Formats: sequence, C-alpha cells, structure tokens
Amino acid sequence: MMLFTIPIFSQLETVMKHVLLWFHTSLHLPWAWAIVGTTVVVRMLLVPLTIKQIHSMQSLQRHAPQMKEIQKKYKGDKQRQNEELMKFYRENQINPAASCLPMLLQLPVFIALYYTLKSFDQNFPQSKGQDLSWLHFIPDITVHTTAVWGGYVLLVVYVASQMASSYFMMTTADKMQRVLFMVMPLFFVFIIAHFPAGLVLYWVTTNLWTVGQGLITRRLVAKTPAPAPERRSSRTPPKPETAPAIQGDGAQPRQETATAQQPRQVRRKKKRTSRR
Amino acid sequence: MRVPSLLGVGFVWLYRLTFGALFPTTCKYHPSCSEYAVQAVRRHGLVRGSVLAGWRLLRCNPWSRGGFDPVR
Repeated sequence: MMLFTIPIFSQLETVMKHVLLWFHTSLHLPWAWAIVGTTVVVRMLLVPLTIKQIHSMQSLQRHAPQMKEIQKKYKGDKQRQNEELMKFYRENQINPAASCLPMLLQLPVFIALYYTLKSFDQNFPQSKGQDLSWLHFIPDITVHTTAVWGGYVLLVVYVASQMASSYFMMTTADKMQRVLFMVMPLFFVFIIAHFPAGLVLYWVTTNLWTVGQGLITRRLVAKTPAPAPERRSSRTPPKPETAPAIQGDGAQPRQETATAQQPRQVRRKKKRTSRR
Repeated sequence: MRVPSLLGVGFVWLYRLTFGALFPTTCKYHPSCSEYAVQAVRRHGLVRGSVLAGWRLLRCNPWSRGGFDPVR
C-alpha cells in the first residue's frame, strides 16, 4: 500500500473529501449515506457505458443460434472455434466481452474513498461527535469492518452481493472461470475484513447497483430482440404455405407494393390468435 | 529486464492480485489489458510500455470491437 502514497492519490483524496462534504452539508445526508450517494452518482455516470453493453448483449442474443452453430461445427478444435467466433463478432459488430475501462474508472473512486476513510478524523474534523452509523447496525463507518458485530452482517451482504454481481457481469462461457468468479468473494472477504466499514458499504452499494442493472438488462435483452428478428423468422417460413391459399382470394399476392404487404400481415396475425 | 520495467510489471501484478481480482471482468481483447501491459513494458521499457498500455486501456471501451491485438 506504500506504493499508493504518491501525489495523485492525495489529490484523489481531496476530491473525494469535497464530494462527501457536499453530500453531507448540502444534501444533509449522514456520512454513511453520503458514501452511498457518491457510489450511486459514480454508477450513474457510468450508465452510458452500460447502455452500450446492453446493446451488445442484445445483439449477442440475436445472433445466438448462428454462434451455436459455429460452436457445434468446430467442437473438437477450440482454437479454430475461438477464431471463427471472433470473426463472426467482427462481421456482425458484436462486443462479446466486457471492457476494462468502465471497471478501471471505478478504481480512483475506490482508492480515494479508502484514503478518505482511513484518516476520516483529519479530513472531517467537524465529524467529531456526529452520527457515523449506518442503518443502526454499523455504529461507525470508519472502523475496521470486523471491529463491530454489524460488520460481519455487512460482510455477509458483501459476499452475497458480490456473487450476484459476478453472476450478472460474467460474459464468459467457460464453466471453470464462472465457478472461480463465484467462489472468489469467499476468499476476498478475509482481505476486505481489514478495510473500513464505509468502504465495504461502497462495495455493497456498487454491487447492488450492478445486480439491479443486470436484472433490468436481462429484461430488456429478453424483451427487445424477440419481437424483431425472431417473429420475422417465424413469419417468413409460412409464406410459401399460406401464399397459395391466399392466392385463391384474388390477385393480392401478385401486388409487390408495400401496401399489399400490410393486409397480409394482418391476416397472419389473426390466424395466429385463432390458433392459440 | 531493467529495474524500472520490473517495477512496472510488479505494479501490474499488484493490480491483478488486488483490484483485478476484486472486480472480475473478462477483457474483450487478446491478450488481456493487463497481459498487454506486462508485454509492452517488457518489450519497450517502462515509459513507452506504459504509454502503450494506457492507450490500450482507452481502446478497451464499450465502443471498440476488441479481438486479437498483440504488442507490436
């Protein structure tokens, strides 16, 4: 940790100090909630990056059948399989994995918060005697997490939230890697136990944000691609079957204008509902 | 490897063991950003290697395509 005592980190600490102070004095939030507020703002700033991620997840799902085919085709040759998949991603402009930059942007916040909490008394002399608790079970956010019984509860919440967030963040299909990511928090809890409770609070908040985001993403991903390409594909095959049947009605199918296509769609929709 | 380069590689490893492990993500590039940083520092020294690694990190954003991108 000695490595981190370079000027830039003390500057980060100053910025964090002002942000927390703003939350505390202007918004009248208790210190613990000021940390939660800061976390939420940071994650909100990262939302544009997330939206892009959601889009790529949508296109990933849209192309899932083709990708499965590629995986099947090169089942024995993993190297070739990866190459072909990469090629497919490139051709269809899909971003398969998460990128490092959004994650790394959180790093300065984390470091700044660590240092701010470490010397909380010096940073905020006015906080003496003030309420430093969070939800009554953490009496002081500046002490080590394991110093109070509530800290253990917070650690359990951390492990659960970290596992859940890893579950949503994971883009890898490798089973071994997935298991590793899920088990990791169980080991890290021993390191995190030495951090101030406020830092764990930051962690829990950011994890819960990731989980919420993941849930919304899943809903969006499940909803949006379905009506566009999948229905179309289910509509296209019946064309040759139904077309002759309609042909008997008149000259409609021969009309190749857009207006002629509209009633066709309506008819099929009716048929669908009657089938169901 | 010279001392500054060793320091750079050490820094990447420190990152890998701490934050890299705590915020698990899979990089969209191959080699991954941290591996790229190690290779760049080894091949080009601390200063140029760091610049290359920084540039790669900036490229590793949701708008980029990712893929195979070795240190040149």
